[in-house]
Amino acid sequence: MSATTTARGSTWTRTGSVGVRVRAFLETHPVGYLTPALLILAAFGVYPLIVLFQMAFSDVGPTNLIGTWDFVGWSNFASVLSSGQVWAALLRTVAVSAALLVSNLVLGFVVASILSVPSRITTTTLAIMVFIWALPPLVSANAWKFLLDTSGPVDAIFALFTQNQPQWLSSPTLALWTVTGVIAWAALPFSALILRGSMLAIPQDLIDAAAIDGARYWRTQLAIVMPLVKPTLWILSIFTLLYAFKSFDFFYIMTQGGPGVATNTLPVLTYYSAFSNFDMSTGATIAALSMVVVALLSIPYIRGIRREGTE
Amino acid sequence: MTAHRHLRRTFSVLAGLLGLAYLFPLAWVVITSLKTDGEVLHAPDSVIFTPTLSTYAAVIQSGLGAILTSVVIAVLVTAAILLIGIPGAFALGHSFGGGWIRVVAVVLGILLVLQMVPQPMTIIPLYGILARWHILGTLFGLILADIALLLPFAMMLLRPYVLAIPQVIYEAARIDGASVVRAFLSITVPMLSNGIFIVMCVIFISSWGEFLYAINFLPQGATLPVSGLLAEQNSSYVAQWNRVMALAVLTSLPLLIVFLFTQRRLINGLSMGAVR
Repeated sequence: MSATTTARGSTWTRTGSVGVRVRAFLETHPVGYLTPALLILAAFGVYPLIVLFQMAFSDVGPTNLIGTWDFVGWSNFASVLSSGQVWAALLRTVAVSAALLVSNLVLGFVVASILSVPSRITTTTLAIMVFIWALPPLVSANAWKFLLDTSGPVDAIFALFTQNQPQWLSSPTLALWTVTGVIAWAALPFSALILRGSMLAIPQDLIDAAAIDGARYWRTQLAIVMPLVKPTLWILSIFTLLYAFKSFDFFYIMTQGGPGVATNTLPVLTYYSAFSNFDMSTGATIAALSMVVVALLSIPYIRGIRREGTE
Repeated sequence: MTAHRHLRRTFSVLAGLLGLAYLFPLAWVVITSLKTDGEVLHAPDSVIFTPTLSTYAAVIQSGLGAILTSVVIAVLVTAAILLIGIPGAFALGHSFGGGWIRVVAVVLGILLVLQMVPQPMTIIPLYGILARWHILGTLFGLILADIALLLPFAMMLLRPYVLAIPQVIYEAARIDGASVVRAFLSITVPMLSNGIFIVMCVIFISSWGEFLYAINFLPQGATLPVSGLLAEQNSSYVAQWNRVMALAVLTSLPLLIVFLFTQRRLINGLSMGAVR
């Protein structure tokens, strides 16, 4: 009798305080370390995704956002897919993605090659580029909006050469490419840094051997370095595609989707349908569809990486 | 080898030009922020002027609340992410044995998906959820949303540092009778100091620069953070560029400070996290 009470008593003191109990749990359950993160991500990361799809199948507007949502089946999808605006936005997003792919992979490779030759100038340039990459897009977008303003320095330089000024951000045909150019400018440091990293990891004797064979620099870069950094190029292209489908800040600051609808890409259209027209369902439907596109796009790439990995 | 030297010289010139292409916009932002209203209006492209801090004085005076809001958001978000993310990354990077590796694979997949989802798209359901939970329009709701936005990135950035800790050290500690919790606190956390530093900088910079959640989740008329103020300048028609640029400099201030002191550490750390 007394033995059981002491046993119970000692259990009580051992597990009495919450801290001790948590500690005991953490000793045998690794999930304990992950629980706070999982809770936050479930509530504010995964659950919103579920609600997003729920919204896409319901009729949600400003009046019933906190009320009950009527299930409407596929009708949101039908109206979104029959909208010319959505297809135009998809086309613009694809165009931006293609331009960014070329810039990040081709220009990225060239810039990485240039920056992998050590010198004091290289180090400084690298530091400036990393700074730009880490800069909030909000800041670089505002900087370029100002630089490209009608009274800005870019127009002042152009005025020296030509009479008809390019309407950087107010021409419906040019605006999309202007913003894309700025996004490419802001994204290039990252790809150059990553590619430079994997170029520097290549054993020097491979490159020396090619040099002894008399191969010119760029021939070596193409025939020897490029195949060796191919896995990095794959990863970079996924990053770039995802980045292109995410690019919003630059458009939001520089054009707000305008002039007219000329720079309405998918994220921009999504945001404005939800927060300007307060048509949450349409916004959610476009968002759901573009996420499906992103998922489809990443499948061949992920397979590609797998193949690279097993080779 | 003369061709080689020639190439080297060409590359130095190209690298210099590239550096200028990235430095010029930055320099222009800073130069403009040092001009007076009149100078910006009448000679926006002039580089010959007496620099003045009057724009900053005006912006800081009227935006003291905004700076305070930014500090509160960035400090709380960063602290919470470190508190939640360090044990989280430990769980994802430490080999616990058993079937744990399968759990890790699933969680990593979820983290990747969450990182892929564009912010202008999650904001739509999040707006509804925050409203339903009655935390829309509060700083608390905004901070929770920011934590969830940046946490996956923080954990992915930290995980390689956990993986890099040699297993032998843990075994030695276990033989000495140290518990898992003890090993986490006195081996993992101290050995992660480099990674923790990088994550702390990156998250502070990102939460300081975040504006989309801030302008949508905070109520009308609330004191926006500096980044929100900068984003709002957008909608005003008369652009006072010197003010906008001063706000831009304030928005990049944490980055500027971190960069000046720890440039090399930051560059190395970021490229390590990004490649793996």
